[in-house]
Amino acid sequence: MFLHNLKYSLKTLFKNKMLIFWTYAFPLILGTFFYLAFSNIENSEKLDIIDIAIVDNEEFNNSIALKESFRNLSGENEQEQLFNIKYVDLAEAKTLLENDEIAGYLLVEDSPKVIVKTSGINETILKYVTEEIIQNEDVLTNIIEEKLNSTVIDGSIEEFIQNVREDAISMLDTSSLQIRDITSKKLSYTMIEFYTLIAMTALYGGIIGMTAINQNLANMSNNGKRIAVSPTNRIKIIFSSLLSSFIVQIIGLFILFMYTVFALKVDYGNNFPMIILLSLTGSLAGLSLGLAVGTIFKINENLKTGIIIAFTMLGSFLSGMMGITMKYIIDTNAPIVNKLNPVNMITDGFYSLYYYTTYNRFYFNIISLLIFSLIMIILSVLALRRQKYDSI
Amino acid sequence: MKTILSVENLIKKYKNFKAVDDLSFDVKKGEILGLLGPNGSGKSTTINCILSLLKFESGKITIFGCEMRPDAYDIKKDIGVVFQEVAVFEELNVIDNIDYFCGLYIKDKEYRKKCIDDAIKLVGLEDFKKFYPKQLSGGLLRRLNIACGIAHKPKLVFLDEPTVAVDPQSRNNILDGIKKLRDNGATIIYTTHYMEEVEILCDRVIIIDKGKIIASGTGDELKELSKIEEKVTVEIDSLDEKILEEIKQFKNVDEATYNNGILFITYKKGKNNLSSLIDYLKKVDVHYDKIYSERPTLNDVFLYLTGKELRD
Repeated sequence: MFLHNLKYSLKTLFKNKMLIFWTYAFPLILGTFFYLAFSNIENSEKLDIIDIAIVDNEEFNNSIALKESFRNLSGENEQEQLFNIKYVDLAEAKTLLENDEIAGYLLVEDSPKVIVKTSGINETILKYVTEEIIQNEDVLTNIIEEKLNSTVIDGSIEEFIQNVREDAISMLDTSSLQIRDITSKKLSYTMIEFYTLIAMTALYGGIIGMTAINQNLANMSNNGKRIAVSPTNRIKIIFSSLLSSFIVQIIGLFILFMYTVFALKVDYGNNFPMIILLSLTGSLAGLSLGLAVGTIFKINENLKTGIIIAFTMLGSFLSGMMGITMKYIIDTNAPIVNKLNPVNMITDGFYSLYYYTTYNRFYFNIISLLIFSLIMIILSVLALRRQKYDSI
Repeated sequence: MKTILSVENLIKKYKNFKAVDDLSFDVKKGEILGLLGPNGSGKSTTINCILSLLKFESGKITIFGCEMRPDAYDIKKDIGVVFQEVAVFEELNVIDNIDYFCGLYIKDKEYRKKCIDDAIKLVGLEDFKKFYPKQLSGGLLRRLNIACGIAHKPKLVFLDEPTVAVDPQSRNNILDGIKKLRDNGATIIYTTHYMEEVEILCDRVIIIDKGKIIASGTGDELKELSKIEEKVTVEIDSLDEKILEEIKQFKNVDEATYNNGILFITYKKGKNNLSSLIDYLKKVDVHYDKIYSERPTLNDVFLYLTGKELRD
């Protein structure tokens, strides 16, 4: 029964032209569009080093993370240099910005602030990099606090005072913190578009799952009524339909990966096991989203497809598909939105794989996707528990 | 005769509306039971309750002597259902559609293949095996819908208005197929609002209106419920009012009307009415184009019992 349903479920899904368009063709078209639209822009601007200023005050000099990180990014190694930094006082920084000699300047007072005049790519990069360093500084502070607490408990506070500065610098140097590789060699602000494209495709898998499930539910389709009156275990049928959806979706993602890697020369990094893990988890999230939309809403299939497409497109937009600036704005002003946004979880997973040398952020995204999937599946199971309906 | 299906005091409500109102009936082995009623009378709701697709407020449903439940797979394996709406996969051809649904009942591939061939033959789709649903006409699609529902050779078959919107050729083909199913030993529950089909097919008829059984019995038994026994229609160019009034006074006449060149007379009893009328029309020198007599139909019974046409 399981294999019988799996076989025909695969057959119907692969022959569904609308489904194949949205999940196979549309991402390829969009990827090609991104490639044509952005590659020239990026190539022409790739080697630019961004002129910025930092207000050289006491607060800045006391911030180890900011000082060390900006020093590295304006570094001696020209290949990896991202910024050309002028250390100035506040008045001069304002003048430089006013005269368009710098993209923006960093002012550390109670908290670090980036001041820019316009919202171009260079300004966004400066903001984003500063934000990254600040986030890591918080992590650093937490680690120091933990260390302090344990040291106080041990009663050896003097030892802490002696070592804390050395430890902090050591952590920065050895990348035991999540310090991003934001050198100009690595930094590509169009990569995010391709990450969101993969994320969008994974979530579009929800359309496949929803279509397959719709065919199995008596209150959703005539075929579902016919299946419901047959002597088949509903869980078996639904599970085999979901498996077929997963297979179709993974094949679609594989095609997209191959196309972007070999035809569009997109670099996803070299950690293939993690890339596969993220793709599978992302697909699971997409599938469970489709399962939830399919089972919870009693509306026609086209409307359900519309819900999944709209949700995915909005999620993609918020996670940076139409430009990294949006991701920055959301991450800065409403971080909860992207924490709950499954497209961003996938996008950010790729992003962290590419830029970070550690996996903390990557695993956070994987766990977030699993939690999202679990919630969707629980909601679906609650809806699926009904074996008889009030109306069909 | 053995009872295959028993429905006792079934009540199904949609909020305050009673779609099925205390319905009880039995179906005996090998019979074709017709559920006759106008659209919205509760026929399909009754079927969906019997099949455990719909919740119902109260009542008991027993099939093959066991209580019907959603997970009663031993019962379900011997049931075939042809729903009013066509239920097939657009992406699968005729053979694959039948194979898919038949495969939900029969694992053995060899036996399944034989069942599929038999079903295709029964509904006359031999020349369309590789066709996809969108390539089939409405009638052929209905035939495929039936084949998908009965290919596994069920002992109890529910046919819910299987001939809605089909051409006469397909309708005849479908009706022949249903007779063959019965001849092969299946018990059939056939819902329709076409009384001609019920008259041709059914051994017994239950007439439902507003969720209630208003009459049941064989076709003849039901017709006896009607106060008329004969209907005579005469096509006449013109008819004098006096003659019409005289006809109304004839023996056995229940009602006589003349509209748009048609004289229509209903008789309470059905003996020598036509010959008497012909003699009278000759006597008063009224020429007619056509004259014919009919037995009352189940539609007349329905009209008599409810005051409305079956197809309203």
